[in-house]
Amino acid sequence: MLAYVARRILSTIPVMLVVAFVVFSMLILSPGDPAAVIAGDQATPEDVERIRAALGLDRPFFVQFAEFLWRLLHFDLGTSIFTNLPVSHMIAQRIEPTVALMVFTIVLSVAIAVPLGVIAAWKAGSWIDRGVMIFAVFGFSVPVFVVGYLLAYIFALELDWLPVQGYTPIAQGFGPFVENLVLPSIALGSVYIALIARITRATMLEVLAQDYIRTAKAKGLGTRDVLFLHALKNAAVPISTVVGIGIALLIGGAVVTESVFAIPGLGRLTVDAILRRDYPVIQGVVLLFSFVYVLVNLLIDLLYTVFDPRIRY
Amino acid sequence: MRRRTFIATAAATFAAPRVHGQATATRTLRIVPQANLTSLDPVWTTATITRTHSYLVYDTILGVDANFQVKPQLADGWQIEDDGRTYIFTLREGQRFHNGEPVLARDCVASIRRWWARDGFGQEVAKRHDSIEALDDRRFRIRLKRPFSHLLAALAKPNASPCFVMPESVASTSADQQITSWIGSGPYRFLRDEWVPGSRAAYARFEGYVPRREEPEWTSGAKRANAERMEWHIISDPATAGAALQSGEVDFWEIPLHDLLPVLRRNRNIIVENRDTIGTVGMLRLNHLHPPFDNPEIRRALLLAINQEDYLKAVVGDHPEMFNASYSYWTLGGPMHTEAGADALKVRSVERAKEALAKAGYRGERVVQLHASDFPTIAAQSLVTADLLRRLGMNLDFVAADWGTVVQRRASREPIERGGWNVFHTTWAGPDWMDPAAAVGMRTNGPNAWFGWPTSEKIEALREQWFDAPNLAEQKRIATAIQVEAFQVVPHVPLGHFLSPSAWRSNVTGVLRSPVVLFYNMGKSA
Repeated sequence: MLAYVARRILSTIPVMLVVAFVVFSMLILSPGDPAAVIAGDQATPEDVERIRAALGLDRPFFVQFAEFLWRLLHFDLGTSIFTNLPVSHMIAQRIEPTVALMVFTIVLSVAIAVPLGVIAAWKAGSWIDRGVMIFAVFGFSVPVFVVGYLLAYIFALELDWLPVQGYTPIAQGFGPFVENLVLPSIALGSVYIALIARITRATMLEVLAQDYIRTAKAKGLGTRDVLFLHALKNAAVPISTVVGIGIALLIGGAVVTESVFAIPGLGRLTVDAILRRDYPVIQGVVLLFSFVYVLVNLLIDLLYTVFDPRIRY
Repeated sequence: MRRRTFIATAAATFAAPRVHGQATATRTLRIVPQANLTSLDPVWTTATITRTHSYLVYDTILGVDANFQVKPQLADGWQIEDDGRTYIFTLREGQRFHNGEPVLARDCVASIRRWWARDGFGQEVAKRHDSIEALDDRRFRIRLKRPFSHLLAALAKPNASPCFVMPESVASTSADQQITSWIGSGPYRFLRDEWVPGSRAAYARFEGYVPRREEPEWTSGAKRANAERMEWHIISDPATAGAALQSGEVDFWEIPLHDLLPVLRRNRNIIVENRDTIGTVGMLRLNHLHPPFDNPEIRRALLLAINQEDYLKAVVGDHPEMFNASYSYWTLGGPMHTEAGADALKVRSVERAKEALAKAGYRGERVVQLHASDFPTIAAQSLVTADLLRRLGMNLDFVAADWGTVVQRRASREPIERGGWNVFHTTWAGPDWMDPAAAVGMRTNGPNAWFGWPTSEKIEALREQWFDAPNLAEQKRIATAIQVEAFQVVPHVPLGHFLSPSAWRSNVTGVLRSPVVLFYNMGKSA
């Protein structure tokens, strides 16, 4: 097991190298020029060229890439072209809100979606089942920003229960921290809840048709024990896979959610950096997201052994 | 713990920070600025948001009032000697930087040197100067090769890249490199540790600042730090910024989206007013290097079809009080404004433009229009042009992209088959077109000109004459001649002025009316 974990962690190195190369190539080859953005509208083309030279953007592709890799090997993500701050510092400033948003969303989503999916499967064909499925279709179909605006309008502007926007670090009080995260998490989680609820329902329907479930019922076990101790545990592998895959969905959704609710997280940092062509920041954040995604997949793989003891690495 | 006790404790936990928040809120002014503050160096970048930041943190040697008159600011006054060839500036006593060091003449000299390395107007000063030196701690001297009546205006320029004063040690940084220290002598201290680019910037009142005694007017007069603390909340989503203002989570929104103004106006706790007294100027820029707009007759034919009202309404809607057509290359209300030579721009006839296009020999060449879809005002005007070019029967290739892509592609001088362009839109602050010194887009020095690279030796010669003109009447005469020629050359099409009001909570006080954004003087009543 430990050898497997070590192997998987080592395998992230070539993956990250490929990601680094792809990200770097895409940025250099895509249109846009940070020098032009820095120079502003008043600048002449000569000013722009001078700034490009000062930033080293006029050097050949492979020279720039080699320098980028060298820095990366020293765990140096570089310095933002615009803010002149180390990228690692900018990421550190932004990581807490994004992690908080994602963890809050995952917990909220799993807590809502799994029971919904279980109940829908248990009451398959009933109005409860149809209601859950209608909710799931709604969650899939309505864009995150629309859900966000609706929630903000109803719960912040009209009812004045929660703040419209912003983020309060947990160090400044648990109450304000939660207040700021409720609406963004529901907005971001709407797709996620729909996804997990549907997968839970489908998997549970399959499991509930198995012989051992009939045996459990024949033994006289209560419905709750049958559903949550026997059926759900056996349905957990596909559900956890979807939860893992859904992290990518959340990362994408976080970009929109952070914009709608003005949360100073990594999603907004990425968008701002892309709009300005702040290459070091884009590279740093994409590498981080890629690393997190690889890590989450590893964790999900390890979780399989917990849910299904037959699985061995 | 009993259930009631638990609920009471939980409620107290949630309520406590809000009470604290209310206590600090009256001392703190929360502002949603027009953009994200990414760079803190007003010489390195001309970004408007950096300039707004700099007016809080730095002071200028001179300022300008609502009558375009130059006024002393850090300076106590100046003397002109040697028939206008020598200027001696004396600094006010008691001015200090945020680190407690006094503001000295040598700080001003270093700051001027760094500023003129980059700024267009500054470069005109640099070209004409013979020497610049500190005479003692409070006086510095600029000697000129020949009299230059615009020297004071250059040092006082409020827009684009004003001449801010930094400590000599900071101002000695190359103009092509960002400064790494943000010590100024302005009314607010920048709180570096609280800066989260893309989210928040914070400022604290500089207790050592001594405001002038005159009332504030544009960039002159007293700069009072009425709010103890100022926070900039970067909210990129306009709907969220609007909701935050309505709910009282922020106090001031610099540039609300025009679409949201009716909603804000309906809220009795919100004031919506024009803070900017001149407004924003729209521009349709043409590339003079490639067909079809390398042909001056085709450029002039386009003028006949332009209806400025279409462009202005596209931005602000059907609100005539919020826009002004301006048949001039110079800022409406400014000293150089004239309608001389602008007859073609008043025709507003697609049919006549079509005839003129045919006569000029337009043969259906492809017209590549760069469209920045992420800037609502620019995008709105750009869509009007796309429609117009199609109605004129031009072979339009409409390239939608983000602003970052547009600013890169507009720098390309390549033919359109190799990634070049023919047309793009942008907007400028009103003061940017005040006169030939400010208007970089009016340069017609070919390859060295602003994007589009127009060529006109006549305009360039007139521009030189303008700089040497001894008085306002002569400057105005030359500016008129420049405009008449410009309507023949058509470096771009001016699209009039539109106003972008600001919105603030009714308890906000001291909002300054000025063509540049000034956040000092603002405060908040309880």
